[in-house]
Amino acid sequence: MIVTFPHMGPLYITLKSLLSTLGLKVMAPPPITKKTVETGARYAPETACLPLKVTLGNYIEALEAGADTIVTCGGVGPCRLGYYAQVQQEILTELNYKFTMVVIEPDVLQVIKTIRQLAPQAGVKSVYRAFTLAGAKMNTLDRLGDMVREVRATEKLPGTADTVYQEAVAEIEAASEPGELPDICDIYREKLLQVEKNGQVPLRIGLVGEIYVMLENFVNLDLEQRLGRLGVHVHRTMSLTDYVRTHLLRNKPYLARYNEIATAAAPYLGHGVGGHGLRSIGATVEMAKQGFDGIMHVFPFTCMPEVIAKNILHQTSNDHEIPVLSLAFDEQSAEAGVVTRLEAFVDLLNYRRRL
Amino acid sequence: MEPLRIGLPRGLLYYEYGDLWQNFFAALGARVIVSEETTKAMLTAGGVLGEVCLPLKVYVGHTVSLAGKADCLFVPRIVSVARQMYTCPKMMGLPDIIRSNINNLPEVIDTDVSLRQRQGSLAEAILRIGCRLGQGKIASLRAWYWARRQAGVKQPVIGGSVSDGLRIGLIGHSYLIQDKFISMNARDKLTAMGMAVITPEQVPVRQAQLAALHLNKKIYWSYCHHLAGTALALIAARAVDGLIFMTSFSCGPDSMISEIIRRKAEAGNIPFMLLNTEEHTAEAGFLTRLEAFTDMIKRRNRR
Repeated sequence: MIVTFPHMGPLYITLKSLLSTLGLKVMAPPPITKKTVETGARYAPETACLPLKVTLGNYIEALEAGADTIVTCGGVGPCRLGYYAQVQQEILTELNYKFTMVVIEPDVLQVIKTIRQLAPQAGVKSVYRAFTLAGAKMNTLDRLGDMVREVRATEKLPGTADTVYQEAVAEIEAASEPGELPDICDIYREKLLQVEKNGQVPLRIGLVGEIYVMLENFVNLDLEQRLGRLGVHVHRTMSLTDYVRTHLLRNKPYLARYNEIATAAAPYLGHGVGGHGLRSIGATVEMAKQGFDGIMHVFPFTCMPEVIAKNILHQTSNDHEIPVLSLAFDEQSAEAGVVTRLEAFVDLLNYRRRL
Repeated sequence: MEPLRIGLPRGLLYYEYGDLWQNFFAALGARVIVSEETTKAMLTAGGVLGEVCLPLKVYVGHTVSLAGKADCLFVPRIVSVARQMYTCPKMMGLPDIIRSNINNLPEVIDTDVSLRQRQGSLAEAILRIGCRLGQGKIASLRAWYWARRQAGVKQPVIGGSVSDGLRIGLIGHSYLIQDKFISMNARDKLTAMGMAVITPEQVPVRQAQLAALHLNKKIYWSYCHHLAGTALALIAARAVDGLIFMTSFSCGPDSMISEIIRRKAEAGNIPFMLLNTEEHTAEAGFLTRLEAFTDMIKRRNRR
């Protein structure tokens, strides 16, 4: 059995660590390329949303490379994600691939059940260790990621922070004991702090929207890096750690935080609309109050929850006097178009700041 | 005292529960004003929204058309109508979408109904609406039960006995198929071509539910669950000679279930066509597609 899973930004590091520590043979899909997106788009329903297409492309490439078991998540709606696995399974079966699909529904008991089924030989102790290690990797990645977004905006030599981050990612990936990670985190924090600055005051932009597009750099056309080079400190409102703690583990402090965001959103949207629609609006209100210069709202084209959020955000933007740029991504999103809009937006924010 | 005028936009879930709502408000002593059939102007008014489906756009138009005529508008937030099920994100954000995009609106009655986890939510909604209209708890509940009885249970019929012609299953949301403007009157056009048309509301809910049990995973959007169940039931019973799935561009749930229905139809050797409409769909092209499909079915059955 060779296990594979969908890509979503740095998710592969966490998942690979988790599954291989459980004693499974793991193969991450090849990195996403233009071809991955095209392959996925060719076989997926035309009006399906982008993550379905790209992850389908991941599966096809991984199965071609020899994987035979796909581990993916389920869902309870109303977002389409919860039905991805069923549709993708039918498509892959029709394409004559031989594979098993393991769908993990978002519920701790289900997760445990699936692990027992995948790795029956793993004892409680090794399962615990696998989760601790993967969790530590995820945390470290997210903490360093937050820092990179800040440092990148003011670095003297473009690309310095990213080089440090890539080294950190490689070390995090190689770590085999949970205890190593705090050290790695400290070392690279120090290195990032020492990146030479250009002395400018960065613009602060809050990034809200749908998690897949936000995390997957190939799909969002390296949005964070591009903004960073334009002198923007991007504050990303979603991360894997946050997602897992809020929605999977239902961790109390994280749930309390979610309720705070929902309260902030209440004057504009009084109920969750699935996905992260409510968070997009709540986080916009909060960041406007914290004096952010602008908000970027990203999501896959036709994403149901975010389209609702988009059609409400203009009101939030008006009331709180904060510019919001909504960008929908699909398989046809082109670099030139996105770059032009980012530059125009950053120009606008710089102009506003000078006023 | 003049009775309160309550505006009901003729769109979205009006096509599922409109009779019930009308009876309920009437029993509470209000005057109900339903917007006219959809017009081009309503669609244009809905153009303020971007990337959303056609039925939501025309809903905005219906709401605008009621602005001067009613004292308040009934735009409920129907999150869920069954345990562990959802309607769809647009229904869940409907009152907020309306408020953020239309100026000078009359008061909006936006009661939440969510039966996903708690069945009591419906009763609470009834009491809140009753309270807003100045009625007591008993009177409100009585009005609701009376309204339910009046709206009655429509007796659906399924089967080939409708006519001798060829039978076509026209699957799509009630707010799309029953709205003659945005569905370009597909049902009547098919009838005029000599087809006996079967739509989802003609299929008993129970039968659709049983057929939907064959799915790998239960569909958690209530209305799509019924649509998929209907299609599966029609395919399994071989009750149709062709199946048309009509959807509106950017409808998320439809993009998933249409794929499943298409595969089941192909497996059952029943011709299938996906009809996607949006505001730029031209009537001539639409008609041609319907004709081509019906011609193909006629030829197929002559052999």
